[in-house]
Amino acid sequence: MSANAPLLAVEDLRVTFDTRRGPVEAVRGISFQVGRERVGIVGESGSGKSMTGRAVLGLVRAPGRAQARSIRFGDAELTQLSEREMRAYRGARIAMVMQDPKYSLNPVMTVGRQIAESLRVHGRRSAREIRARSISMLEEVAIRDPERVLASHPHELSGGMGQRVMIAMMLVPEPELLIADEPTSALDVTVQLDVLRILDGLVRDRGMGLLFISHDLRLVSTFCDRVLVMYRGRIVEEIAAKDLGQARHPYTRGLLACLPRIGGGDAPLATLSREPAWEAPLP
Amino acid sequence: MTSLAPEKTDLRAWLNSDTPRSRGHARAIALWGALSDLARNPLTVFGALLILALLLTAAFAPLIATHAPDAQNLAGRLQPPGWNGHLLGTDELGRDIFSRIVHGSRVTLSVVAIVALTAPLFGLLIGTVAGTLGGWTDRVLMRFTDIVLAFPRLVLALAFVAARGPSIENAVIAIALTAWPPYARVARAEALTVRRSDYIAAARLGGASTPRIILFHVVPMCLSSVIVRVTLDMAGIILTAAGLGFLGLGAQPPLAEWGAMISSGRQFLLTNPWVATIPGIAILLVSLGFNLLGDGLRDVLDPRSARR
Amino acid sequence: MSAPRIEVRDLTVVFEGRGRRVAAVDGVSFTVAPRQSFGLVGESGSGKSTILRAICGLAPVADGTISLDGEAPPAARRAFARRVQMVFQDPYGSLHPRHTVDRVLSEPLEIHGFKDRDARIASVLADVGLGPEFRFRLPHQLSGGQRQRVAIARALVTEPDILLLDEPTSALDASIQAEILNLLNRLRREKGLTFLMVSHDLAVIDHMCDRLLVMRNGRMVEELSRTSLDSRAVSADYTRALLVASEGFRRGQPAPEAVPISR
Repeated sequence: MSANAPLLAVEDLRVTFDTRRGPVEAVRGISFQVGRERVGIVGESGSGKSMTGRAVLGLVRAPGRAQARSIRFGDAELTQLSEREMRAYRGARIAMVMQDPKYSLNPVMTVGRQIAESLRVHGRRSAREIRARSISMLEEVAIRDPERVLASHPHELSGGMGQRVMIAMMLVPEPELLIADEPTSALDVTVQLDVLRILDGLVRDRGMGLLFISHDLRLVSTFCDRVLVMYRGRIVEEIAAKDLGQARHPYTRGLLACLPRIGGGDAPLATLSREPAWEAPLP
Repeated sequence: MTSLAPEKTDLRAWLNSDTPRSRGHARAIALWGALSDLARNPLTVFGALLILALLLTAAFAPLIATHAPDAQNLAGRLQPPGWNGHLLGTDELGRDIFSRIVHGSRVTLSVVAIVALTAPLFGLLIGTVAGTLGGWTDRVLMRFTDIVLAFPRLVLALAFVAARGPSIENAVIAIALTAWPPYARVARAEALTVRRSDYIAAARLGGASTPRIILFHVVPMCLSSVIVRVTLDMAGIILTAAGLGFLGLGAQPPLAEWGAMISSGRQFLLTNPWVATIPGIAILLVSLGFNLLGDGLRDVLDPRSARR
Repeated sequence: MSAPRIEVRDLTVVFEGRGRRVAAVDGVSFTVAPRQSFGLVGESGSGKSTILRAICGLAPVADGTISLDGEAPPAARRAFARRVQMVFQDPYGSLHPRHTVDRVLSEPLEIHGFKDRDARIASVLADVGLGPEFRFRLPHQLSGGQRQRVAIARALVTEPDILLLDEPTSALDASIQAEILNLLNRLRREKGLTFLMVSHDLAVIDHMCDRLLVMRNGRMVEELSRTSLDSRAVSADYTRALLVASEGFRRGQPAPEAVPISR
């Protein structure tokens, strides 16, 4: 439970895909809240964690469809908004960072132009002002030579640099909530931590809410305040990150146990035996 | 009747099974999956039915035709459809147009079959070899392809036919000679991406020779794009053959060929319009059939269009 | 003492393109004893995968030598394939999309002239924990873990004695990774295989390998035994940074080391 009022409150969210063999539920009625804190959603592929993030922003593409009893963001009920009204929220008050910056940045435009454009959309005018703001933005995400980065094209940047540029651009309109879908999975481990440090600072200093979606339980458990563990479209456990060692659900415990550890020896790793009971809704 | 039902569902289950029990079973399932994908697009089904109708007409032409295709009756020249048992009327020599259309389908079909079996195979070979080997082989083969591609198809066909004498065989050879370069291009583009993939590296590490890799690993990946392209090109090939016939350089009289039929009917276009329009409609329908089928095939086979 | 199963000495791999020469691997040496498991660990651009590709002849060796049991590796593709096989990182890209499992496994057997193909396919499928019902499936009917098992089966079906593993579990879920790692360890014991494994994950390498080499930007950083890694007895700062990073995020801690701004 967060101390302050929740920024985002999702109730009974479902994402359904219509396939040749009938409808398949990727997300099966989940409810959760995000305050001005770091909330992690952890799960394996197919758990519905990414779809959850997209559904909040109304970004589920056909043949998928998202339904929810309620998605409250601040005072607004997002399920009631038209696509046009939704666009005012998306990007401006709720931002999203995806896994691979290569697919989110325009390959034929310099980084500087892309940042300038997003600044212009959000209402800044003079060229000098835009340039100064661009540089300070890049400095904010710990880029040391912003001038050079502004002049480069996305393919000239390393993965970590690209992801920092993406985060910087997402932050232009000063969103209240950031949904980060595997933002560091394509990055090297040492770079990963730098990007996390930036996200961490945003929550701490700006009071932003962060929904951090990842498959990496170790990362989520050390980075987030609260963890939602998803399995086959349902939240099977919600737990404070520091208490993960005392997780009750066998799936959470199994996920922790199957990770190799340095100094863990070469004895066979624990494996998960999945039980049908895990798919039942929480009591 | 009732005893049939369980058998039917058994067959359906067998075709939809995800645990094939033999190589043949696996193939049957893949084919069934592709066919049921195709069947969900009504336009594709319509196209396929048109092609099926062409196939059946050609196969049973003597049974379907009401008259001999070259039986003349100068007393009954240029009669309108329905006249005295002539379903679609008669032409300037009193021959039954319906029967000539039916027999003409054999000519059209053999043109299509010969071109479809030669040009794409040659193009596929050139394209996959160039794309897989790269380097100098690629450069030489593709420049050769570019040179052939630079010849206008109809002009080259005209020259060829002029040199060797007008006949349907020469027309087909001329078309096939100019039709392969696009397939080589398509196959090469596909091969260029395929050759970088891990499964090709794995095949190489498995000890597979280069011809084996091209034949069994690269070609199957290029095949579907080429098939789609061939189907879409069929209409063009039929039109070229008909065009040559129209110019008097393809099929020679009295052979019933749709292009030649239009050509001879055009003198009566204003007085007896059906003589030229009916073979025109036949060409239109068959071309449409191939185009619709090609569109549907592209949706199912082309790796670039969305996967389900 | 017998010759090492794999010996790489002063290996340099240079890629040339657009007038630039980039040394992807720069003077790397290591040896792997028979039945040992050796790990190459590093981040992207460290050259670790390039070493595997160079051993297989998929990357150009500019300098240095590679030897197997003290001899130059067989030059003929087929003879080499009998000794060395590789498992690739991406199980979705390493299986031909149109080949059934049966075809994937029977092709190498055909190439190398094995007679009892059916029996061998059945037994190698059992070895990697796949039932006979998987034999005629296509890759798209398999999960990521099942595909990787097929890729391992393909590598083992012709009974090589060296297996090169290029991040074999990094595309898989954690629980599937555990299964595949256990499978690989069991197969190594049962079949007396020698492993050369590449990974960015220090914990995976520690679990799988007796010794490891830390690499960065194509160069060797340091070679360690599992015991010294377990007791954190490392000498290079970079290895220490990797160790810290492998433990997850730590709040309020400065960056372990300066990271280059861009490449």
